[in-house]
Amino acid sequence: MIQVFDLHKSFGKVRALKGVSFAAQNGLITGLLGPNGAGKTTSLRILYTVLRPDQGRALVDGFDATTQPLEVQKRIGVLPDASGLYSRLTARENIRYYGRLHGLHGEALERKIEQLIKLFDMQEFADRRTEGFSTGQRVKVAISRALVHDPPNVLLDEPTHGLDVMSTRAMRQVIRRMREEGKCVLFSSHIMQEVSALCDRIIVIARGEIVAEGTPDELRARTGHENLEDAFVEIIGSGEGLE
Amino acid sequence: MFDQMWIVFQKEVLDNLRDRRALATTLLSTLMGPAIMLLLLMVIGRTVEQQIEKPLELPVVGAEYAPNLIQFLKQNNVEILPPPDDPEEQVRVGDFEVVLVISRNFGENLQSGIPATVQLIVDDSRQSSALDVKRAERLLQRYNDQIAALRLITRGVSPSILLPVLVETIDVATPQSQAAQLLGIMPYFIIFAVFLGGMQLAVDTTSGERERNSLEPLLINPVPRRDLVLGKLAATVLFTTVSLLGTLIAFALLFNLVPLEDFVGTRVSLGVAALVRIFFISLPMVGLASAIQIVFAAFSRNTKEAQAYLSFLPLIPALPGMFLAFVPVKPTLWMILIPTFGQQLLINQIMRAEPVLPLNVWASVLMTLLIAVLLTILAIRLYHREQILFGR
Repeated sequence: MIQVFDLHKSFGKVRALKGVSFAAQNGLITGLLGPNGAGKTTSLRILYTVLRPDQGRALVDGFDATTQPLEVQKRIGVLPDASGLYSRLTARENIRYYGRLHGLHGEALERKIEQLIKLFDMQEFADRRTEGFSTGQRVKVAISRALVHDPPNVLLDEPTHGLDVMSTRAMRQVIRRMREEGKCVLFSSHIMQEVSALCDRIIVIARGEIVAEGTPDELRARTGHENLEDAFVEIIGSGEGLE
Repeated sequence: MFDQMWIVFQKEVLDNLRDRRALATTLLSTLMGPAIMLLLLMVIGRTVEQQIEKPLELPVVGAEYAPNLIQFLKQNNVEILPPPDDPEEQVRVGDFEVVLVISRNFGENLQSGIPATVQLIVDDSRQSSALDVKRAERLLQRYNDQIAALRLITRGVSPSILLPVLVETIDVATPQSQAAQLLGIMPYFIIFAVFLGGMQLAVDTTSGERERNSLEPLLINPVPRRDLVLGKLAATVLFTTVSLLGTLIAFALLFNLVPLEDFVGTRVSLGVAALVRIFFISLPMVGLASAIQIVFAAFSRNTKEAQAYLSFLPLIPALPGMFLAFVPVKPTLWMILIPTFGQQLLINQIMRAEPVLPLNVWASVLMTLLIAVLLTILAIRLYHREQILFGR
């Protein structure tokens, strides 16, 4: 369960967030849709504890990301937009490192890694150094290490960015599976197709503010457009920065 | 707390053991000092040896006017060469180091007691000729003294009347302190190894991590930033310590196995006990260098910038060291307290087999460690800022 109240954040003179509030429930896929530069990544970064808000609070399962970062970090699995791997370590070693940092070890950790390798179909390259991996292979390793501790909340920043069709399909399946497991999934995207195809709830963000929030049906009803993409364009005011 | 620091440490060590560049810098910084030292000793040894044992090649103009002088020179290991066409020009361009010109009326003047003139044509601006010129001058001076003494004796006067003051120089340098003059550069090589040995690893694990976009996901793990910094610092300390140990072992082999007395004349001895003491005196610098590197890498924008800063770093402790090589100073407590300078003074004392005050050792160790700890706290602070994601 993720809750965000009245987040403000500025970088120098640029006001990235101007009072953002939203929530994402367990067992649902929540999409954060907005054009590039709308404040999606900044909101997520505050939630996953690497940025501090100037004002407002971000809570994960009731823990404050600013004052109790370790508690929050234990309960989230994150795929940041830029997710670098250690190129001199194998895929398995990359995942193991994060598992150990989460306090897993021994047999239990190895079993979990094996499970993820099967889930993402990585058997072929699991024991190769990640140097020279394709984008698809990298994302699979990155999401595996984010999920190695079985977090109840999952934050994904543009998870299908740069993926080919097959990998995108695999990613969507994983996201749906996590919903079935009752996890709280929050992902950001500037791709309308993706958000419409996956989300139970959609939060539309533009220029650092939430401009609409609801189920796909509610958003359609609110704007009077049958087509969800037309609805988005009307809500944001333009289609610029969206795909 | 140490569990997670240990995990970070293990990962960084494994990661960097697979990094050829990190290993190459460690190895290079380890062997560079001893290699340069060996080369220096060989070159210095060879030149001194060659110039002294080789007969002095001396072209002489007008040799026929002074057969006795020529005889004297030949007896003293001088090879008389035929006169050159243009002595002055040929000395200037470096064909000859020194040319002796004997005037036509040399014999005549000598017999009638008038100062008989000889000329030495030299080029004072050329360093390489200094040794030959000195030898020629000294030989002529000796010939001069001989004749003068003979003249006094034939007149019934003791030649010692011309020596109202006799200057005797007593050299108190022990063989160890003579060798130490050559070894004066060794402390600096040790510092060099300390400041370069772990540099690649420090940069790779901090600004390299940021550059490869693996820092942000790493920071999301439930690990206190303090533990991340300490784990990376510990890995840097390990590589740097290995580099320091390697350098000392290489020096030990150099001094104990290579027959250096053949090159330098004096015996260079530096026992295992001395090296162990040097190791422990240098150890606090390992912490200092590692912490400085982590701090610099934390606020550099990228690895290139970090490397540029850090490559200059070992030059700073080099400055007092170079000064020391020319002007020997008696260590006082405030000098000992300066990190890296204090160590150089103490290492110099050990190499000269001088007594080392325990107070000075403790002062140096504690002061350097204190600064290392402060820098580590600064590094942890830097990792708590959000700017750590972007650099600066």
